[in-house]
Amino acid sequence: MSSTEQGTSSAAPAEPTTAPESAAAPEVPESFYYVHGKDKVVHKVSAGALQHSALIHGMISNLGYTEEQAKANPFPFENIDGDILQMVVDWCNQHKGKPTPPEDTNLPKQKEKLFDLVLAVNYLEIKELLTYCCKQVAMMVKGKSPEEIREIWMIPTDAEDEAAEKEAKKRAGKEAAGETAAAAGDAK
Amino acid sequence: MPRKRFPRPKQLTNRNKLKKKSKVRFPILKLPRVVLLECIENLDVLEIILFSLLSKRAKSMAKLIHWNLLDITFGHDDEDPYILLTLSSNPGHTWVIRYKDFYEEEEEEESPEYSYFKSYLTGPQAKHYLFLKNDGNAIEGMKKMVELICEVFRFSICGIYIVEESQIDWIVKFQPEVRHVYIKNNVVTSVETLDHVFKNIKVTEHFVLGSIGTEKETKSKESIPYRSVSIWSSSWVTLPTVLNGNNSIIRLIDSKLTPKDINTILKEWQMGTKLQNLEYLEIEIFTTQDLESLSNEAVKDLNLTESDGNDGRPRTV
Repeated sequence: MSSTEQGTSSAAPAEPTTAPESAAAPEVPESFYYVHGKDKVVHKVSAGALQHSALIHGMISNLGYTEEQAKANPFPFENIDGDILQMVVDWCNQHKGKPTPPEDTNLPKQKEKLFDLVLAVNYLEIKELLTYCCKQVAMMVKGKSPEEIREIWMIPTDAEDEAAEKEAKKRAGKEAAGETAAAAGDAK
Repeated sequence: MPRKRFPRPKQLTNRNKLKKKSKVRFPILKLPRVVLLECIENLDVLEIILFSLLSKRAKSMAKLIHWNLLDITFGHDDEDPYILLTLSSNPGHTWVIRYKDFYEEEEEEESPEYSYFKSYLTGPQAKHYLFLKNDGNAIEGMKKMVELICEVFRFSICGIYIVEESQIDWIVKFQPEVRHVYIKNNVVTSVETLDHVFKNIKVTEHFVLGSIGTEKETKSKESIPYRSVSIWSSSWVTLPTVLNGNNSIIRLIDSKLTPKDINTILKEWQMGTKLQNLEYLEIEIFTTQDLESLSNEAVKDLNLTESDGNDGRPRTV
Protein backbone atom coordinates (compact mmCIF):
# COMPACT_ATOMS: atom_id res chain seq x y z
CA MET A 1 0.00 0.00 0.00
CA SER A 2 1.45 3.33 -1.00
CA SER A 3 0.55 6.66 0.41
CA THR A 4 0.33 10.22 -0.88
CA GLU A 5 -0.22 13.27 1.23
CA GLN A 6 -2.68 15.55 -0.46
CA GLY A 7 -3.26 19.14 0.46
CA THR A 8 -1.12 19.19 3.56
CA SER A 9 0.97 22.13 2.42
CA SER A 10 -2.00 24.16 1.24
CA ALA A 11 -3.80 23.24 4.43
CA ALA A 12 -1.11 24.77 6.61
CA PRO A 13 -2.11 28.27 7.69
CA ALA A 14 0.26 31.11 6.83
CA GLU A 15 2.52 32.14 9.69
CA PRO A 16 1.13 35.40 11.07
CA THR A 17 3.63 38.22 11.54
CA THR A 18 1.54 39.67 14.33
CA ALA A 19 -1.23 37.70 15.90
CA PRO A 20 -2.79 39.62 18.73
CA GLU A 21 -6.27 38.13 18.19
CA SER A 22 -5.13 34.58 17.72
CA ALA A 23 -3.76 34.68 21.22
CA ALA A 24 -7.32 35.13 22.49
CA ALA A 25 -8.65 32.20 20.46
CA PRO A 26 -6.02 29.49 20.17
CA GLU A 27 -6.14 27.66 16.84
CA VAL A 28 -7.34 24.10 16.93
CA PRO A 29 -4.86 21.90 15.07
CA GLU A 30 -6.33 20.63 11.84
CA SER A 31 -7.24 16.99 11.83
CA PHE A 32 -6.57 14.72 8.88
CA TYR A 33 -8.25 11.59 7.63
CA TYR A 34 -7.24 8.98 5.12
CA VAL A 35 -9.18 7.58 2.18
CA HIS A 36 -8.40 5.05 -0.49
CA GLY A 37 -10.05 3.86 -3.64
CA LYS A 38 -9.98 0.65 -5.66
CA ASP A 39 -6.21 0.95 -6.18
CA LYS A 40 -5.57 1.07 -2.38
CA VAL A 41 -3.53 4.26 -2.72
CA VAL A 42 -4.16 6.19 0.46
CA HIS A 43 -4.80 9.92 0.33
CA LYS A 44 -4.35 12.10 3.37
CA VAL A 45 -7.05 14.76 3.38
CA SER A 46 -7.86 17.44 5.93
CA ALA A 47 -11.21 17.42 7.66
CA GLY A 48 -11.81 20.88 6.16
CA ALA A 49 -11.47 19.56 2.61
CA LEU A 50 -13.57 16.51 3.39
CA GLN A 51 -16.42 18.73 4.53
CA HIS A 52 -17.41 19.00 0.87
CA SER A 53 -18.46 15.36 0.99
CA ALA A 54 -21.66 14.97 2.97
CA LEU A 55 -21.03 11.20 3.12
CA ILE A 56 -17.52 11.41 4.58
CA HIS A 57 -18.37 14.37 6.77
CA GLY A 58 -21.20 12.33 8.28
CA MET A 59 -18.84 9.39 8.84
CA ILE A 60 -16.09 11.36 10.57
CA SER A 61 -18.12 13.83 12.56
CA ASN A 62 -18.67 11.45 15.46
CA LEU A 63 -15.49 9.39 15.29
CA GLY A 64 -13.13 11.57 17.28
CA TYR A 65 -10.15 9.69 15.83
CA THR A 66 -6.63 10.54 16.87
CA GLU A 67 -4.10 11.04 14.07
CA GLU A 68 -2.83 7.49 14.60
CA GLN A 69 -6.30 5.96 14.61
CA ALA A 70 -7.23 7.84 11.44
CA LYS A 71 -4.06 6.69 9.72
CA ALA A 72 -4.67 3.12 10.76
CA ASN A 73 -8.26 3.18 9.52
CA PRO A 74 -8.43 4.77 6.06
CA PHE A 75 -11.92 5.01 4.62
CA PRO A 76 -12.18 2.43 1.87
CA PHE A 77 -14.05 3.38 -1.29
CA GLU A 78 -13.62 0.18 -3.24
CA ASN A 79 -16.18 1.25 -5.81
CA ILE A 80 -14.15 4.31 -6.87
CA ASP A 81 -11.15 4.09 -9.19
CA GLY A 82 -7.93 5.46 -7.77
CA ASP A 83 -7.50 8.19 -10.39
CA ILE A 84 -11.08 9.32 -9.92
CA LEU A 85 -10.65 9.51 -6.15
CA GLN A 86 -7.48 11.49 -6.76
CA MET A 87 -9.46 14.03 -8.85
CA VAL A 88 -12.10 14.32 -6.14
CA VAL A 89 -9.50 14.78 -3.40
CA ASP A 90 -7.72 17.43 -5.50
CA TRP A 91 -10.96 19.30 -6.01
CA CYS A 92 -11.83 19.14 -2.31
CA ASN A 93 -8.39 20.49 -1.42
CA GLN A 94 -8.62 23.30 -3.97
CA HIS A 95 -11.98 24.36 -2.59
CA LYS A 96 -11.28 23.86 1.10
CA GLY A 97 -12.89 26.59 3.16
CA LYS A 98 -13.66 28.69 0.08
CA PRO A 99 -17.01 29.70 -1.32
CA THR A 100 -17.48 27.81 -4.55
CA PRO A 101 -17.45 30.14 -7.60
CA PRO A 102 -20.40 30.12 -10.02
CA GLU A 103 -18.16 28.80 -12.83
CA ASP A 104 -15.51 26.36 -11.73
CA THR A 105 -12.34 26.33 -13.78
CA ASN A 106 -10.75 23.66 -11.60
CA LEU A 107 -12.95 20.88 -12.86
CA PRO A 108 -11.15 17.80 -14.03
CA LYS A 109 -10.61 18.21 -17.77
CA GLN A 110 -10.55 14.57 -18.88
CA LYS A 111 -14.00 14.11 -20.34
CA GLU A 112 -13.38 10.39 -20.78
CA LYS A 113 -13.40 10.10 -17.00
CA LEU A 114 -16.46 12.29 -16.53
CA PHE A 115 -18.91 9.41 -16.20
CA ASP A 116 -16.93 7.70 -13.41
CA LEU A 117 -16.33 11.07 -11.79
CA VAL A 118 -20.06 11.87 -11.75
CA LEU A 119 -20.84 8.50 -10.16
CA ALA A 120 -18.14 8.96 -7.53
CA VAL A 121 -19.17 12.51 -6.73
CA ASN A 122 -22.77 11.46 -6.45
CA TYR A 123 -21.80 8.57 -4.14
CA LEU A 124 -19.64 10.83 -1.98
CA GLU A 125 -22.42 13.44 -1.95
CA ILE A 126 -20.30 16.42 -3.01
CA LYS A 127 -23.12 18.69 -4.04
CA GLU A 128 -21.20 21.59 -5.60
CA LEU A 129 -18.93 19.36 -7.63
CA LEU A 130 -21.92 17.36 -8.81
CA THR A 131 -23.59 20.56 -9.98
CA TYR A 132 -20.50 21.52 -11.98
CA CYS A 133 -20.15 18.03 -13.43
CA CYS A 134 -23.80 18.01 -14.52
CA LYS A 135 -23.29 21.35 -16.27
CA GLN A 136 -20.28 19.90 -18.02
CA VAL A 137 -22.30 16.89 -19.12
CA ALA A 138 -24.92 19.22 -20.60
CA MET A 139 -22.16 21.22 -22.35
CA MET A 140 -21.05 18.07 -24.16
CA VAL A 141 -24.04 18.32 -26.50
CA LYS A 142 -24.19 22.12 -26.95
CA GLY A 143 -25.06 22.89 -30.56
CA LYS A 144 -25.01 19.23 -31.60
CA SER A 145 -27.38 17.55 -34.00
CA PRO A 146 -29.77 14.82 -32.74
CA GLU A 147 -27.57 12.05 -34.12
CA GLU A 148 -24.52 13.55 -32.49
CA ILE A 149 -26.36 13.78 -29.18
CA ARG A 150 -27.39 10.13 -29.55
CA GLU A 151 -23.80 9.17 -30.22
CA ILE A 152 -22.17 11.23 -27.47
CA TRP A 153 -24.69 10.30 -24.81
CA MET A 154 -25.01 6.73 -26.10
CA ILE A 155 -28.78 6.84 -26.26
CA PRO A 156 -30.20 3.64 -27.76
CA THR A 157 -33.00 3.81 -30.29
CA ASP A 158 -36.45 2.53 -29.30
CA ALA A 159 -35.76 -0.67 -31.24
CA GLU A 160 -32.50 -1.22 -29.38
CA ASP A 161 -34.21 -0.56 -26.04
CA GLU A 162 -36.96 -3.06 -26.89
CA ALA A 163 -34.43 -5.69 -27.95
CA ALA A 164 -32.45 -5.18 -24.74
CA GLU A 165 -35.62 -5.45 -22.68
CA LYS A 166 -36.60 -8.70 -24.42
CA GLU A 167 -33.12 -10.07 -23.86
CA ALA A 168 -33.23 -9.14 -20.17
CA LYS A 169 -36.64 -10.82 -19.77
CA LYS A 170 -35.39 -13.92 -21.52
CA ARG A 171 -32.33 -14.07 -19.26
CA ALA A 172 -34.45 -13.52 -16.15
CA GLY A 173 -36.80 -16.31 -17.29
CA LYS A 174 -33.91 -18.71 -17.80
CA GLU A 175 -32.43 -17.86 -14.42
CA ALA A 176 -35.79 -18.38 -12.72
CA ALA A 177 -36.20 -21.72 -14.50
CA GLY A 178 -32.68 -22.72 -13.42
CA GLU A 179 -33.44 -21.85 -9.80
CA THR A 180 -36.70 -23.82 -9.88
CA ALA A 181 -34.91 -26.86 -11.30
CA ALA A 182 -32.19 -26.57 -8.68
CA ALA A 183 -34.78 -26.31 -5.90
CA ALA A 184 -36.60 -29.38 -7.26
CA GLY A 185 -33.28 -31.25 -7.36
CA ASP A 186 -32.59 -30.30 -3.74
CA ALA A 187 -36.06 -31.49 -2.72
CA LYS A 188 -35.42 -34.91 -4.26
CA MET B 1 -32.06 48.30 -35.81
CA PRO B 2 -29.94 46.07 -38.03
CA ARG B 3 -30.10 42.40 -37.24
CA LYS B 4 -26.88 41.10 -35.84
CA ARG B 5 -25.99 37.47 -36.13
CA PHE B 6 -24.27 35.75 -33.27
CA PRO B 7 -20.88 34.40 -34.13
CA ARG B 8 -21.48 30.88 -35.25
CA PRO B 9 -20.38 28.12 -32.96
CA LYS B 10 -17.46 26.31 -34.51
CA GLN B 11 -19.35 23.13 -35.26
CA LEU B 12 -21.90 25.06 -37.28
CA THR B 13 -19.47 26.88 -39.55
CA ASN B 14 -19.49 24.05 -41.99
CA ARG B 15 -22.35 21.61 -41.75
CA ASN B 16 -20.19 18.82 -43.11
CA LYS B 17 -18.18 19.04 -39.95
CA LEU B 18 -21.23 17.85 -38.06
CA LYS B 19 -20.64 14.45 -39.52
CA LYS B 20 -17.25 14.25 -37.90
CA LYS B 21 -17.43 11.73 -35.11
CA SER B 22 -16.81 12.87 -31.58
CA LYS B 23 -14.62 10.55 -29.55
CA VAL B 24 -16.06 11.33 -26.13
CA ARG B 25 -18.85 9.04 -25.02
CA PHE B 26 -21.03 9.46 -21.97
CA PRO B 27 -23.77 6.88 -21.30
CA ILE B 28 -26.11 9.38 -19.72
CA LEU B 29 -29.03 6.98 -19.31
CA LYS B 30 -26.89 4.81 -17.04
CA LEU B 31 -26.61 7.58 -14.47
CA PRO B 32 -28.71 7.45 -11.30
CA ARG B 33 -32.01 9.11 -12.10
CA VAL B 34 -31.50 12.16 -9.83
CA VAL B 35 -28.13 12.88 -11.44
CA LEU B 36 -29.48 12.31 -14.93
CA LEU B 37 -32.26 14.80 -14.30
CA GLU B 38 -29.78 17.36 -12.94
CA CYS B 39 -27.75 16.99 -16.14
CA ILE B 40 -30.66 17.50 -18.51
CA GLU B 41 -32.00 20.38 -16.44
CA ASN B 42 -28.99 22.29 -17.73
CA LEU B 43 -30.07 21.88 -21.33
CA ASP B 44 -31.54 24.66 -23.37
CA VAL B 45 -35.22 24.52 -24.44
CA LEU B 46 -34.32 23.41 -27.97
CA GLU B 47 -31.79 20.86 -26.76
CA ILE B 48 -34.42 19.33 -24.50
CA ILE B 49 -36.71 18.98 -27.50
CA LEU B 50 -33.99 17.25 -29.53
CA PHE B 51 -33.16 15.02 -26.58
CA SER B 52 -36.83 14.01 -26.25
CA LEU B 53 -36.92 13.08 -29.92
CA LEU B 54 -34.14 10.52 -29.53
CA SER B 55 -36.15 7.75 -27.89
CA LYS B 56 -39.16 7.00 -25.71
CA ARG B 57 -36.84 6.53 -22.75
CA ALA B 58 -35.18 9.90 -23.31
CA LYS B 59 -38.57 11.55 -23.62
CA SER B 60 -39.82 9.94 -20.40
CA MET B 61 -36.77 11.34 -18.59
CA ALA B 62 -37.30 14.86 -19.96
CA LYS B 63 -40.93 14.70 -18.83
CA LEU B 64 -39.87 14.21 -15.21
CA ILE B 65 -38.41 17.70 -14.96
CA HIS B 66 -40.47 20.63 -13.81
CA TRP B 67 -39.94 23.29 -16.46
CA ASN B 68 -40.69 26.98 -16.17
CA LEU B 69 -43.85 28.33 -17.72
CA LEU B 70 -43.56 28.06 -21.47
CA ASP B 71 -45.75 29.80 -24.03
CA ILE B 72 -46.20 27.63 -27.10
CA THR B 73 -47.44 29.20 -30.32
CA PHE B 74 -48.06 27.14 -33.42
CA GLY B 75 -47.59 29.83 -36.03
CA HIS B 76 -47.29 30.20 -39.77
CA ASP B 77 -45.73 32.92 -41.86
CA ASP B 78 -46.22 33.47 -45.58
CA GLU B 79 -44.78 30.10 -46.49
CA ASP B 80 -43.96 27.86 -43.58
CA PRO B 81 -45.22 26.70 -40.24
CA TYR B 82 -43.15 27.39 -37.17
CA ILE B 83 -43.29 26.94 -33.43
CA LEU B 84 -42.53 29.90 -31.20
CA LEU B 85 -41.56 29.27 -27.59
CA THR B 86 -41.15 31.88 -24.89
CA LEU B 87 -40.33 31.42 -21.23
CA SER B 88 -41.89 33.73 -18.68
CA SER B 89 -38.70 33.49 -16.62
CA ASN B 90 -36.49 34.44 -19.56
CA PRO B 91 -38.21 37.22 -21.54
CA GLY B 92 -35.09 38.24 -23.48
CA HIS B 93 -34.98 34.93 -25.32
CA THR B 94 -37.26 33.37 -27.90
CA TRP B 95 -36.92 29.88 -29.33
CA VAL B 96 -38.19 29.12 -32.79
CA ILE B 97 -38.49 25.80 -34.57
CA ARG B 98 -38.95 25.91 -38.31
CA TYR B 99 -37.95 24.24 -41.53
CA LYS B 100 -36.49 26.96 -43.64
CA ASP B 101 -33.54 29.12 -42.71
CA PHE B 102 -34.79 32.38 -44.10
CA TYR B 103 -31.67 34.24 -43.00
CA GLU B 104 -29.53 32.20 -45.33
CA GLU B 105 -30.48 33.53 -48.73
CA GLU B 106 -28.38 31.06 -50.60
CA GLU B 107 -30.21 28.21 -48.91
CA GLU B 108 -33.67 29.68 -49.19
CA GLU B 109 -34.97 27.06 -51.57
CA GLU B 110 -33.79 24.03 -49.69
CA SER B 111 -34.49 22.47 -46.34
CA PRO B 112 -31.58 21.39 -44.22
CA GLU B 113 -30.52 17.79 -44.44
CA TYR B 114 -30.51 17.52 -40.69
CA SER B 115 -31.39 19.63 -37.67
CA TYR B 116 -29.13 22.45 -36.61
CA PHE B 117 -29.16 25.48 -34.35
CA LYS B 118 -28.57 29.16 -34.95
CA SER B 119 -28.96 32.22 -32.78
CA TYR B 120 -29.56 35.80 -33.77
CA LEU B 121 -29.51 38.99 -31.81
CA THR B 122 -32.15 41.57 -32.71
CA GLY B 123 -31.80 44.54 -30.39
CA PRO B 124 -32.12 43.24 -26.86
CA GLN B 125 -33.88 40.07 -28.03
CA ALA B 126 -32.02 36.84 -28.67
CA LYS B 127 -33.73 34.43 -31.02
CA HIS B 128 -32.61 30.84 -31.02
CA TYR B 129 -33.57 28.77 -34.02
CA LEU B 130 -33.77 25.06 -34.53
CA PHE B 131 -34.01 24.30 -38.23
CA LEU B 132 -35.47 20.90 -38.95
CA LYS B 133 -35.24 18.55 -41.83
CA ASN B 134 -38.48 18.71 -43.80
CA ASP B 135 -39.72 15.22 -44.54
CA GLY B 136 -42.37 16.41 -46.96
CA ASN B 137 -45.43 17.48 -45.02
CA ALA B 138 -44.42 20.55 -43.05
CA ILE B 139 -47.76 21.03 -41.27
CA GLU B 140 -47.98 17.37 -40.21
CA GLY B 141 -44.39 17.48 -39.00
CA MET B 142 -45.04 20.59 -36.95
CA LYS B 143 -48.24 19.12 -35.46
CA LYS B 144 -46.22 16.17 -34.19
CA MET B 145 -43.54 18.52 -32.89
CA VAL B 146 -46.15 20.61 -31.03
CA GLU B 147 -47.61 17.45 -29.50
CA LEU B 148 -44.15 16.42 -28.33
CA ILE B 149 -43.39 19.84 -26.85
CA CYS B 150 -46.72 19.97 -25.02
CA GLU B 151 -46.13 16.47 -23.68
CA VAL B 152 -42.56 17.06 -22.53
CA PHE B 153 -42.99 20.51 -21.06
CA ARG B 154 -46.51 19.81 -19.85
CA PHE B 155 -47.88 23.11 -21.11
CA SER B 156 -50.71 23.73 -23.51
CA ILE B 157 -50.67 25.63 -26.78
CA CYS B 158 -51.11 29.33 -26.17
CA GLY B 159 -51.92 30.31 -29.73
CA ILE B 160 -52.45 28.73 -33.12
CA TYR B 161 -52.46 30.11 -36.64
CA ILE B 162 -54.64 27.84 -38.74
CA VAL B 163 -53.74 27.71 -42.43
CA GLU B 164 -55.50 24.51 -43.49
CA GLU B 165 -58.70 22.76 -42.50
CA SER B 166 -56.90 19.71 -41.15
CA GLN B 167 -55.53 21.89 -38.34
CA ILE B 168 -59.08 22.63 -37.17
CA ASP B 169 -59.82 18.95 -36.64
CA TRP B 170 -56.41 18.45 -35.09
CA ILE B 171 -56.77 21.24 -32.53
CA VAL B 172 -60.32 20.15 -31.69
CA LYS B 173 -58.97 16.71 -30.86
CA PHE B 174 -55.66 17.71 -29.31
CA GLN B 175 -56.51 20.81 -27.31
CA PRO B 176 -59.99 22.28 -27.76
CA GLU B 177 -59.30 25.23 -25.46
CA VAL B 178 -56.77 27.78 -26.75
CA ARG B 179 -56.04 31.36 -25.76
CA HIS B 180 -55.48 32.77 -29.24
CA VAL B 181 -56.75 31.41 -32.55
CA TYR B 182 -56.06 32.93 -35.94
CA ILE B 183 -57.71 31.37 -39.00
CA LYS B 184 -56.23 32.40 -42.32
CA ASN B 185 -58.26 33.51 -45.35
CA ASN B 186 -60.16 30.78 -47.16
CA VAL B 187 -59.48 28.03 -44.62
CA VAL B 188 -63.13 28.10 -43.58
CA THR B 189 -65.18 27.40 -46.68
CA SER B 190 -68.70 27.11 -45.31
CA VAL B 191 -70.97 28.17 -42.48
CA GLU B 192 -70.95 24.54 -41.34
CA THR B 193 -67.21 24.62 -40.85
CA LEU B 194 -67.56 27.91 -39.02
CA ASP B 195 -70.19 26.40 -36.72
CA HIS B 196 -67.87 23.45 -36.16
CA VAL B 197 -65.15 25.89 -35.04
CA PHE B 198 -67.48 27.86 -32.78
CA LYS B 199 -68.90 24.73 -31.17
CA ASN B 200 -65.70 22.79 -30.71
CA ILE B 201 -62.89 25.27 -30.11
CA LYS B 202 -63.01 27.39 -27.00
CA VAL B 203 -60.99 30.56 -27.50
CA THR B 204 -60.32 32.23 -24.18
CA GLU B 205 -58.51 35.39 -25.33
CA HIS B 206 -58.73 36.46 -28.94
CA PHE B 207 -60.16 35.00 -32.11
CA VAL B 208 -59.19 36.25 -35.57
CA LEU B 209 -60.87 35.02 -38.72
CA GLY B 210 -59.92 35.78 -42.30
CA SER B 211 -62.33 35.55 -45.22
CA ILE B 212 -64.61 32.59 -45.77
CA GLY B 213 -63.60 30.94 -49.00
CA THR B 214 -66.83 30.31 -50.83
CA GLU B 215 -68.49 31.60 -53.97
CA LYS B 216 -71.89 31.42 -52.32
CA GLU B 217 -73.17 34.37 -50.35
CA THR B 218 -72.81 33.39 -46.74
CA LYS B 219 -74.70 34.85 -43.82
CA SER B 220 -74.81 33.81 -40.22
CA LYS B 221 -77.17 34.78 -37.45
CA GLU B 222 -75.33 32.79 -34.80
CA SER B 223 -73.38 34.74 -32.25
CA ILE B 224 -69.62 34.34 -32.02
CA PRO B 225 -68.92 32.62 -28.71
CA TYR B 226 -65.62 34.32 -27.95
CA ARG B 227 -64.72 37.24 -25.70
CA SER B 228 -62.61 39.10 -28.23
CA VAL B 229 -63.07 38.78 -31.99
CA SER B 230 -61.56 40.30 -35.12
CA ILE B 231 -63.23 39.33 -38.39
CA TRP B 232 -61.30 40.53 -41.41
CA SER B 233 -63.85 39.83 -44.13
CA SER B 234 -66.96 40.18 -42.07
CA SER B 235 -69.60 40.42 -44.79
CA TRP B 236 -71.22 37.26 -43.40
CA VAL B 237 -71.72 38.85 -39.97
CA THR B 238 -75.30 40.03 -39.58
CA LEU B 239 -76.98 42.26 -37.03
CA PRO B 240 -78.23 39.31 -34.92
CA THR B 241 -74.67 37.91 -34.86
CA VAL B 242 -73.55 41.06 -33.08
CA LEU B 243 -76.61 41.65 -30.92
CA ASN B 244 -76.92 38.09 -29.66
CA GLY B 245 -73.27 37.86 -28.72
CA ASN B 246 -71.65 38.31 -25.37
CA ASN B 247 -68.37 39.67 -26.71
CA SER B 248 -66.15 42.26 -25.03
CA ILE B 249 -64.19 43.30 -28.09
CA ILE B 250 -65.60 43.26 -31.61
CA ARG B 251 -63.67 44.29 -34.72
CA LEU B 252 -65.52 43.84 -38.00
CA ILE B 253 -63.47 44.72 -41.05
CA ASP B 254 -65.05 45.00 -44.50
CA SER B 255 -68.48 44.74 -42.95
CA LYS B 256 -71.80 44.77 -44.83
CA LEU B 257 -73.70 46.16 -41.87
CA THR B 258 -75.71 49.25 -42.77
CA PRO B 259 -75.64 52.57 -40.90
CA LYS B 260 -79.08 51.60 -39.60
CA ASP B 261 -77.66 48.30 -38.22
CA ILE B 262 -74.86 50.23 -36.57
CA ASN B 263 -77.41 52.59 -35.05
CA THR B 264 -79.34 49.63 -33.65
CA ILE B 265 -76.16 48.16 -32.18
CA LEU B 266 -75.18 51.46 -30.57
CA LYS B 267 -78.67 51.97 -29.11
CA GLU B 268 -78.76 48.48 -27.64
CA TRP B 269 -75.26 48.94 -26.23
CA GLN B 270 -76.20 52.29 -24.70
CA MET B 271 -79.43 51.01 -23.20
CA GLY B 272 -77.61 48.03 -21.76
CA THR B 273 -80.31 45.59 -22.73
CA LYS B 274 -77.84 43.72 -24.93
CA LEU B 275 -74.08 43.73 -25.46
CA GLN B 276 -73.61 44.10 -21.72
CA ASN B 277 -69.99 42.99 -21.81
CA LEU B 278 -68.99 45.07 -24.81
CA GLU B 279 -65.98 47.29 -24.14
CA TYR B 280 -64.72 48.04 -27.64
CA LEU B 281 -66.46 48.09 -31.01
CA GLU B 282 -64.92 48.74 -34.39
CA ILE B 283 -66.86 48.38 -37.62
CA GLU B 284 -65.25 49.16 -40.94
CA ILE B 285 -67.62 49.50 -43.87
CA PHE B 286 -67.12 50.44 -47.49
CA THR B 287 -69.79 52.81 -48.74
CA THR B 288 -70.36 55.49 -51.35
CA GLN B 289 -72.59 57.37 -48.94
CA ASP B 290 -71.16 60.66 -47.72
CA LEU B 291 -69.57 60.52 -44.30
CA GLU B 292 -71.76 63.09 -42.61
CA SER B 293 -75.08 61.53 -43.54
CA LEU B 294 -73.68 58.10 -42.64
CA SER B 295 -72.58 59.36 -39.22
CA ASN B 296 -75.92 61.05 -38.63
CA GLU B 297 -77.76 57.88 -39.48
CA ALA B 298 -75.49 55.72 -37.32
CA VAL B 299 -75.89 57.90 -34.21
CA LYS B 300 -79.51 58.92 -34.74
CA ASP B 301 -81.51 59.24 -31.47
CA LEU B 302 -78.49 58.35 -29.37
CA ASN B 303 -77.65 60.12 -26.18
CA LEU B 304 -74.30 61.60 -27.18
CA THR B 305 -71.66 63.18 -24.99
CA GLU B 306 -69.13 65.65 -26.27
CA SER B 307 -65.68 64.19 -26.57
CA ASP B 308 -62.84 66.12 -24.99
CA GLY B 309 -60.53 64.43 -27.45
CA ASN B 310 -58.80 62.63 -24.64
CA ASP B 311 -61.34 59.95 -23.75
CA GLY B 312 -61.73 61.40 -20.27
CA ARG B 313 -58.10 60.85 -19.35
CA PRO B 314 -56.54 63.60 -17.22
CA ARG B 315 -54.38 66.10 -19.08
CA THR B 316 -52.27 67.09 -16.11
CA VAL B 317 -50.64 65.17 -13.31
